[in-house]
Amino acid sequence: MSRVPRSRRERRQRRLAAALVALLAAVVLFPFLWLLQMSVKPTADITAFPFRWLFTPTAAHYRALWESQFPVSLWNSTVVSVATTLVALCVGVPAAFALSRARFRREGALALWILATRMAPPIAFTLPYFLIYRHLGLLDTRLGLVVIYLTFNLSLVIWMMRSFFDATPRSLDEAAWIDGASVWQGFVRVTLPLAAPGITATAILCFLFSWNDFFFALILTRTEAITAPVAVVNFLNYEGWEWGKIAAGSTLVLLPVLAFSLLVRKYLVGGLTAGAVRG
Amino acid sequence: MDALAPRPVALGEPEVPGVAVRPVGRRDRTYARCLLPALVLLAVVTVAPTVYLIVTSLTPLDLTRPATALDFTQPLGNYALLLHDHRFWNSVWVQAKLSAGTVAFQLVGGLALGLLLGVRSRFVAACRTLFLIPMVLPPIVVAIMWKVLYTPDISPVHTALLALGLPIPALITHPDLALPAIIVADVWEWLPFTALMVLAALKMMPEEPLEAARIDGAAGWQILRHIVLPYLRPALLVAGLFRLIDSVKAFPLIYILTDGGPGTVTEVTNYYAFRQAFNFSYLGFSSAITLALVAAVFLLSWWFVRVVGTRGDVE
Amino acid sequence: MTVTPPPTRHRSTRRAFLRTSAGAVGLGLVAARAPAVLGQAKEFKGVTLNGACFQHAYTNVLKEFLKEFEEKTGMRVNFETPAFPVYNQRADLELSTRGSAWDFLNITFIYSGRWIGAGWMSSLEEFLGDRNATPADWDAGDFVSGAQASLTDAKGTRYGFAWEAGAMIMAASRYDLIEKAGMKMPETFDQLGQVCAAIDGKDGVKAFVNDNLHHWHWPPYLLGWGGKVFVNPPENLTPALDSREAVESAEYYANLLRQYSPSGALSYTMDQGALAHRTGRANLRTQAIAWLAPLATAADSTVKRTVRFAYMPRGQAGAFPGSVSHGFGIPAGAKNKRAAWEFIKWALSKEMVRRAALEKGYIAVCRKSVIDDPQYRKNMTLNGQDLAALYLRVLEESGRLGYMRYRMVPVYPQVGDKMNKAIERIVTNQQPAREAMAQAQREAVLDLKKAGIKIDA
Repeated sequence: MSRVPRSRRERRQRRLAAALVALLAAVVLFPFLWLLQMSVKPTADITAFPFRWLFTPTAAHYRALWESQFPVSLWNSTVVSVATTLVALCVGVPAAFALSRARFRREGALALWILATRMAPPIAFTLPYFLIYRHLGLLDTRLGLVVIYLTFNLSLVIWMMRSFFDATPRSLDEAAWIDGASVWQGFVRVTLPLAAPGITATAILCFLFSWNDFFFALILTRTEAITAPVAVVNFLNYEGWEWGKIAAGSTLVLLPVLAFSLLVRKYLVGGLTAGAVRG
Repeated sequence: MDALAPRPVALGEPEVPGVAVRPVGRRDRTYARCLLPALVLLAVVTVAPTVYLIVTSLTPLDLTRPATALDFTQPLGNYALLLHDHRFWNSVWVQAKLSAGTVAFQLVGGLALGLLLGVRSRFVAACRTLFLIPMVLPPIVVAIMWKVLYTPDISPVHTALLALGLPIPALITHPDLALPAIIVADVWEWLPFTALMVLAALKMMPEEPLEAARIDGAAGWQILRHIVLPYLRPALLVAGLFRLIDSVKAFPLIYILTDGGPGTVTEVTNYYAFRQAFNFSYLGFSSAITLALVAAVFLLSWWFVRVVGTRGDVE
Repeated sequence: MTVTPPPTRHRSTRRAFLRTSAGAVGLGLVAARAPAVLGQAKEFKGVTLNGACFQHAYTNVLKEFLKEFEEKTGMRVNFETPAFPVYNQRADLELSTRGSAWDFLNITFIYSGRWIGAGWMSSLEEFLGDRNATPADWDAGDFVSGAQASLTDAKGTRYGFAWEAGAMIMAASRYDLIEKAGMKMPETFDQLGQVCAAIDGKDGVKAFVNDNLHHWHWPPYLLGWGGKVFVNPPENLTPALDSREAVESAEYYANLLRQYSPSGALSYTMDQGALAHRTGRANLRTQAIAWLAPLATAADSTVKRTVRFAYMPRGQAGAFPGSVSHGFGIPAGAKNKRAAWEFIKWALSKEMVRRAALEKGYIAVCRKSVIDDPQYRKNMTLNGQDLAALYLRVLEESGRLGYMRYRMVPVYPQVGDKMNKAIERIVTNQQPAREAMAQAQREAVLDLKKAGIKIDA
């Protein structure tokens, strides 16, 4: 055993770790920070040859964005993401509960089916949805997006919440039943509150995936229901990628999810792991 | 019903004797009612398009010739074409390389980062949040960020390296470096996912085995290998599974950075299917590719779940 | 195309006098026609017209004056202008499923053969033949044949009218470096190779640059070599990508990109290539005139004084500069075809095209009457060179000789994709030219068979 007292060694290790973390954070955040600074860099400086590092910041790109269709797309993204999350939760949480509690023969297959719905690349669904939506008049509507996002949200909710419910002890359910509650009442009054962190985490993930979707929105929307990620790509113009506007648009697109995720990071971390790891 | 009388154990019933419980039938019915809406909805939104996909893959559907939509004369024609399609097999190989590369690096890197972030230090704890960022960004924005970094004309990295006398070639147009460049971008984006799972698992890890090992004089490495890693195994496996499934869907990075090129060195299978469908309208052929892809991933995941399992119940 | 008004030289008062008097006459003419216009007023009241094109300087001009059109006809126009890749994706999907979301749209040059060949566009002949729908002075014949070629099918039926012509020429951003090396603008492929070798790297400037649209850039070299894309389009669509001429010209062109182009140029989009060009990173380029004229006119061009233009260099078989166009057309599934035609007439009327060219400095117009206009000629005289003449020459020759027929084929996107990949592989040394082109040929044949095309054995 080393003669250096543990506390001193520990402190040195901690400082080393802290330094390493700081360095890694800087490296990891660099692309992100570079994009942010590009959003306030005048276009002439962005494309200058030779490369120009220093510049006077400008709000021109953000102003241009605000006067374009961009705010509409941000609103669309918000509405669609919230709506699809709510639907997925309302339908998926009880289902996950049932899956967790009821033991029936084909549950493995069911679980696999649910997982399988996540496996298909977006292209698998886009053509049939495009054709069906044309018939139903759902093209370029927010409702259309809400429905197609359920293809990945619903299975996400069921999959994750089942793990959470697995982690909440049945004994509590049974205690409620003994007290005379029905299954549903037990669920609502006892199990659900216990699983609240899980629900929060799952809701955040649903919102995140819906907000960040690009492919479905690209194919199924045009001007009315265009979402923010697609609106950013709209600056990849024929005559030149408008880097300033792209950077500014990208910043605006990522800020909401970023802020949201950071605010609820505790739940995010907990949500990613509950049930996946043997307790 | 006499609550204390013994009764046969039925579906959905815990095996705790002597406890008065609700009649089985009603409980099962409640469960069924909870499950049904979800199943119906899931069926509608996923099964119908899947059926369309399967049916279309049996036709040579080409939107420039609408009559081909109902041409079932050669149902396995597309699959036969696939078998001999070099470009398809190339895409499978590229996909295998991409998936292996991203999953491996994300697991190893995520493990290392998770362990690092688990160090007990207030500074480190405060920094944890920052590492969330790449994971929550919209993938299209991530692609744009990396496009900036990989385009020599506007890239600070290329410019700085050039100034330092260490010029590097343009990565996304280099046949050997294009795929690694995409792997780097993908790993940057999803490393936090594994790291967070590792971190959370670490938090829930019981202290006693660690203490016992330390008292017994075990070195850090040994503790890591024999106690921590086995404990983290389920978390790593789940992370690996999810990342594997998602790696097959890789799209924005390829769309923005390389368009499958140079040549076809970064053309993964779903990107090949995308181009066949949306550039040439070969919907029948594209559906066949997509189905083959989904089937392969499904089998892979089924094997994975079978061998490893993902449930963790608490009594 | 960065559109900037050309440098004005309002020195002569005589010129100013001529201008105002011309203006007065013009006004008089408009006033004389006013009753005729008013008589037609609000013919389309209550109609909502939907249309789309990718965002471009020309669509900016149209949007600026859209209110005039709406007031004159009484219709409401929803004119979407998404980005280029997004627009093409949507338009292709919309047309392939015979949608009615748009009444008029842009026929992008990359897809014109496909969209028209598959029957997804509406013929405009019925409107053109109807004197009420199309007055004689709209003058459909005023559009240059080379620009109209890609919007007309083999039988001569017209499906669109061009608003932007891509006429390929050659430009040097730093002609001073070529002169310093004791050479002139190359006229043949051999000379081009020699000039590149002589000037590459001088003053930090690479000799050549282009972009990743190889299926647009390389065929002129192929044809100049004496090769063909298809054996005999449109009857015989057997590809000829593995011929000796194809292999040699592919190696030659790939070498221009490999050896003489800036780092990363292989992934350049057209605008990135243009940016590198006008900021002086590279010297020679063979591209459409709209991407090259800004070398002399754009605000951020650092090579204004040293730019020089020339005709496409020729190979053993001659010079075959690419010539394509974007045009407005009407989808087959459109609901308001008559109203759509009204819009197209307005958007491409002599008046609007003149406005765009003369007031807004727009370059790639397709009406001969405007190209011949002395003001346009003057605007297009850059660094003392008559670009309008070059432009017209490419458009008219290609229309006359008809060598651009290979692009009018519905399956061109498939074949173009194989060309792209092959050139990329050759440039990055993944394969020598012979193997790469053989692979391109094999894959093209496979894809064409999927489309039901008969291929020679």
